[in-house]
Amino acid sequence: MRKDFDQLNYYEMLDITPNAVPYEIRHAYNAALQLYHPGSLVSYSFFSERERREILALIEKAYQTLINDQLRQEYDDELIRRGEIEARDESAPEVKKPVSVFHISRSPYVRTVFVDGDALKNRISQSQVIKDILARNELSGEDLKQIRTELGLTVEQIAEETKIRVNHIRSIEGGQAQQLPPTVFLKGFVKSYLKCLGLESVEELSVRYMNTVSGLK
Amino acid sequence: MAHVWPIGGGKGGSGKSFITSSLGRLSAELGKKTLIIDLDLGAANLHTLAGVPDPEKGFSDFIRKKIPLLEDTVVTTPCANLFLISGAHDNFDIANLPYEQKLKTLRAIAKLDFDRILLDLGAGTSFNTLDFFLISQNGIFITTPEPTSVENVYRLIRSIYFRRIRYCFNVTDFNELEVEAERQFGDGSFNKPDNLMKVIARTNPKKYAQLNNEFSAFRFKLIINQVRKHDNAALGLQMSRMIEKHLGLNLEFLGNVAYDEHVHDAICQQVSFLERYPYTKTASDLHELGKQIVESAGEQLTLRYL
Repeated sequence: MRKDFDQLNYYEMLDITPNAVPYEIRHAYNAALQLYHPGSLVSYSFFSERERREILALIEKAYQTLINDQLRQEYDDELIRRGEIEARDESAPEVKKPVSVFHISRSPYVRTVFVDGDALKNRISQSQVIKDILARNELSGEDLKQIRTELGLTVEQIAEETKIRVNHIRSIEGGQAQQLPPTVFLKGFVKSYLKCLGLESVEELSVRYMNTVSGLK
Repeated sequence: MAHVWPIGGGKGGSGKSFITSSLGRLSAELGKKTLIIDLDLGAANLHTLAGVPDPEKGFSDFIRKKIPLLEDTVVTTPCANLFLISGAHDNFDIANLPYEQKLKTLRAIAKLDFDRILLDLGAGTSFNTLDFFLISQNGIFITTPEPTSVENVYRLIRSIYFRRIRYCFNVTDFNELEVEAERQFGDGSFNKPDNLMKVIARTNPKKYAQLNNEFSAFRFKLIINQVRKHDNAALGLQMSRMIEKHLGLNLEFLGNVAYDEHVHDAICQQVSFLERYPYTKTASDLHELGKQIVESAGEQLTLRYL
């Protein structure tokens, strides 16, 4: 059978659990006052004056008991004796750890630290293929792709590093005139691409590439 | 069997008819065959809000036996899938519906073949309103965030509680019950349904168990209408918490509906608010509620009238 308000224990009155912390108790007390204080719209006309006074007195009593550590201890002992709540777990409360404010469920963001400039330069100087390509007068998209694969980089890594869209990088490598971005952008893209590959004399190489491409047109 | 949603609220002007017509329209738009019935006997309005200013037949024809079957008094509305039993041309003594007529109506409603049936009930706590409200477990209370309205809705809830208890007893038994309650709990306490229940628990445990089962089966809902910006948005939740704690009734808070001047405009122009002002806060609130009405599945028990 549903219990009357004055039969409830203090925790039930305030709608909290027996292991509520003081913050929760204060919060619940404020919420209860909002419900029962004389000017409250929520309980307007629901109680007679006398009932309201009794309820408010009970809530006040509940709050004063639970917020005071010693009184709460005694009250809890009483409840445990009556079997209304389970005995306390005496172990120290678990230390709360900071929780993250945002939960963006992307795959965990791992920044690829691949452009280790020195390592790349090392590889460039060792690779015969790259030397051959750079020795030529022309520099096509296909050459860039070859350099990239020689260095063991993927298009996605380049895109991540340079913030150039993957499809732009593909079309730069493809070298097909109609798919390339407008020349203004292309120049910049190629420069950052070359830089990202760890090549030296970027300026000169990019001019070489632009010439090669414009030759295609 | 249809899902029956009686919509009541105690106080007049809290928007029962407006919400009934809007929810009916939304449920129809979402593909449910929906019927709205104007049971605000003696102060019928629903036909105006539903866009049927002059229906050719109505509820009264059924009461006066001009039309023998309730389903034949249904008229179509401009909105597809939405049907109406209007109270437009009710005779002038309809407000005092005799008991047999009421029973006949309740049985007929329970047998209607629609997906959703919304009943627009009148203000006040007359027996008609209470009994129509008790036809389903899904009664919706509507109130505005004003003391007058809150007061009336609490009164309505208690009246319904009281009425249900009263049904279980004959006159003499009930009188005894009242006397007993008064003796135990003091003056005026026979008027408190929760006190009556306590007496029943002691004197008649079987009836108590039965009533208790029935009350716990109720799934009353609460909608707060005409919520202005500075109003307490948590009012609905707090009210449902109070009712559960102090009366032991389930009262689920469905949502707030924002106040909007345009509702007045739409009613004056006699156009549907949802069509005329679809992008207002109020309209989106109504859409939310409409979805809940349509999605509510599960068992629905219509009490005693089958």
